[in-house]
Amino acid sequence: MTTTRRRFVQGSLATGALVAAPATIRAQTTPSVDRTIRAVLHGDLRVFDPIWTTANMTSYHAGMVYDTLFGVNDKYEPQPQMVSKWNLSDDRKTYTFELRDGLRFTDGTPVTAKDCVASMRRWAARDGGGQHMLARLADTPIKDDKTFQVVMKESYPLLVEWLAKAATNVCYIMREKEAQTDPMQQIQTIIGSGPFVFNQDAVVQGQRYVYDRNANYAPRSEPAVFTSGGKVVNVDRVVFENIADEATAIAAIRAGEIDMIEYPNVDLLDSLAGEKDIKLEVLNKQGQLGWVRVNWLHPPFNNVKARQAMLHLIHPTEVMKATFGDEKYFRGCSSLFGMGTPMENDANIDWFKGGQNIEKAKQLVKESGYDGRPVVVLQATNIAYMNNAANLIAQWMRQAGFNVSLQASDWGAVITRRAVKTPPDQGGWNVFFTSGSVNAFGNPVALSGHAANGEKGWFGWPTDEKHEAFRDKWAKAENDADRRQVARDMQQNAWDFVPHMYFGQWFQPSAQRKLSGLIGMPELIPFWNVKKG
Amino acid sequence: MLSYLAQRLASTLLVMTLVGIFVFMLLHFSAGDPAAIIAGDYATPQQIEAIRQRLGLDDPLLVQFSRWAWRVVQGDLGVSIFSNTPVSTLVLQRLEPTLSLAVLTMVFAVSIAVTFGVLAAWKAGRPVDRLLMGFSVLGFSMPAFVVGYGLIYIFAIELRWLPVQGYRPIMEGIGPWFQHLVLPTLTLGLAYVALIARMTRASMQEVLEEDYIRTANAKGVPARAMLMTHALKNAGVPIITVIGIGVALLIGGVVITETVFNIPGIGRLVVDAISKRDYPIIQGVILLFSGVYVLINLAVDLSYSLIDPRIRH
Repeated sequence: MTTTRRRFVQGSLATGALVAAPATIRAQTTPSVDRTIRAVLHGDLRVFDPIWTTANMTSYHAGMVYDTLFGVNDKYEPQPQMVSKWNLSDDRKTYTFELRDGLRFTDGTPVTAKDCVASMRRWAARDGGGQHMLARLADTPIKDDKTFQVVMKESYPLLVEWLAKAATNVCYIMREKEAQTDPMQQIQTIIGSGPFVFNQDAVVQGQRYVYDRNANYAPRSEPAVFTSGGKVVNVDRVVFENIADEATAIAAIRAGEIDMIEYPNVDLLDSLAGEKDIKLEVLNKQGQLGWVRVNWLHPPFNNVKARQAMLHLIHPTEVMKATFGDEKYFRGCSSLFGMGTPMENDANIDWFKGGQNIEKAKQLVKESGYDGRPVVVLQATNIAYMNNAANLIAQWMRQAGFNVSLQASDWGAVITRRAVKTPPDQGGWNVFFTSGSVNAFGNPVALSGHAANGEKGWFGWPTDEKHEAFRDKWAKAENDADRRQVARDMQQNAWDFVPHMYFGQWFQPSAQRKLSGLIGMPELIPFWNVKKG
Repeated sequence: MLSYLAQRLASTLLVMTLVGIFVFMLLHFSAGDPAAIIAGDYATPQQIEAIRQRLGLDDPLLVQFSRWAWRVVQGDLGVSIFSNTPVSTLVLQRLEPTLSLAVLTMVFAVSIAVTFGVLAAWKAGRPVDRLLMGFSVLGFSMPAFVVGYGLIYIFAIELRWLPVQGYRPIMEGIGPWFQHLVLPTLTLGLAYVALIARMTRASMQEVLEEDYIRTANAKGVPARAMLMTHALKNAGVPIITVIGIGVALLIGGVVITETVFNIPGIGRLVVDAISKRDYPIIQGVILLFSGVYVLINLAVDLSYSLIDPRIRH
């Protein structure tokens, strides 16, 4: 066979088509770049079950896929979301909820009252607020496909607040089939009724998680405010990209390969200064709270004077400066409930007003009878703010008279060791550092770390009966004004017995490229309401 | 030959068994608890304990090891504690990016390095030699992340010729696949160019001083034929050894390049698994790596006899 010019051209075209075919097919099935948001969030999505873990990334995922019975507005007031109407009986014990029309899971089946009750019970088995509610729950009768009741043993004003809260664990509604899974085991199938569908075929574990617009989602008609109102989706696809290297993420947003970084490294923010398409915006205006947990089971922090010494020796501004640099991104925190939450108050904060006082701390250490034994401070070196906080606070502790043994490891090792209750010289610990969403600190019942119920409680195991009585009183308060008063009393008592300390509150900006309409709220990045371009 | 092969394959199994035991023990004796990571920061100690029980992490070590070893013997590497995905699926997902990067890097490194090495040996002591060897010292000394960020800045941000990060599977088209691998290949390949070029130069220099080369020169054999046909083949054994070691190191050592260029390869899979103490992934991948490492060494040993028939005897 001879090669003619015609054959050569035909052959070339055929080869070209063959090589281009995969890309062409992909282009036909993948939404355009203009209709896709690629976001780098604060971590990898490791677990898909929002009840099995309290990890925020899992809640971000669940916020896309699942819907909630209630949402919250920007005043943190519960608003109906999947619920159309609800009422509370005259004896204030029976709540009746009716679902709105048009709610469907992405497999096409309608959302029923059975799904809601099963989901609520599974959530309640794991969540702090849910467990509080479950202990007072009498029954959950189902009236019809769209109506169910929650009957409490006593008046329980917090129920709707629990169902609406955005802090993990969130009461997401799953199909009854998944919701019947043991709360201690992960669900296997991810089907929700939320504004997005999880595209499992496009997922590369550890790298990319893909959410397509749920074309059958029926949003509410009200404007979107936090997790309340209409979840109107304006793009076809959202991709959570896990870019582990912060400098690469910055380069990628500069080159237009991604549209958003939730928490760009503050040291690299200057490199975005000249980019006209990129804006920096603090989305979580309440921020994160740096938390110092001390071990109440062993000396020296089983003595109140030693704990009070810690309040006086920490200098939040210095700790924050070491990690976040620019003062507009942090502040100190004097309230037990975090600054900017509805429960924030200024009861018993003289220790804070006085600023750092090493001499006072020294005197309190002496009064505590501290015998000079090594104080084990756990330092997670792979998380910048924890590493910096440990270095600085350990130094101030030394100045105040503590014999500090700073023990470095990664965060994975810290969270294992913090569970150890034996004395510090036998594998236990005295101090560790962590953080939490300020929004979560605003709720003294739901946040396990607010408990002071001894060894049954969260790591550090503080004990104070008066504090526990205040928590119970807070849960029973009928309105916000009453709750705020109880919170004030609780704080007055807390800063005397000192359950824990804070080392600052920070607000990291997000970087966004040509995005508008992102709802800035704690605990979640909602991708409804967002427009690109 | 066959008995040699059988012997080497048997030793591979022995090595993998020892590696398996070692890795299992190391992981379980080191600090870290996947249950605590899964449960999240606000979980109570009771909740963490319940998850630990569900995952079987509270069973005696011997029971856990037997369970894992029995599965491995049946070809099952287990399931990720976090994502519930089989380890074999995760490895297969990550194999293509890592292999693509490794193959392109070796093709790039070998073709450039052997040319540089031969040229440097031929022009030993002259400016070309000094220039090439200076370049290889530079390539060897610069950390991959410095080279990577530099290339990203020039070619992706300033010139906009190539993407900053990510990976496109070859099935999505050769163009995007190659585009995404150019910068990582250059970054990773630079050190290997330096290593192989220096080894080639040293080995070639030795051969170029042999009598038969002098004879070939005296007979008027053209330089190209003399270098490529007579000298390079005889200088091949040490060069192949270095390339073999390079390939083995590449499979497990691409983690920095994968991180800088956000490539979802096996290196990142292991590092992520270590940070969250996902034991089945760490154990499974290290076991596979050890097997690959031993097999590459075997392939290198066998290739010696193809290059130099004297070795067979």
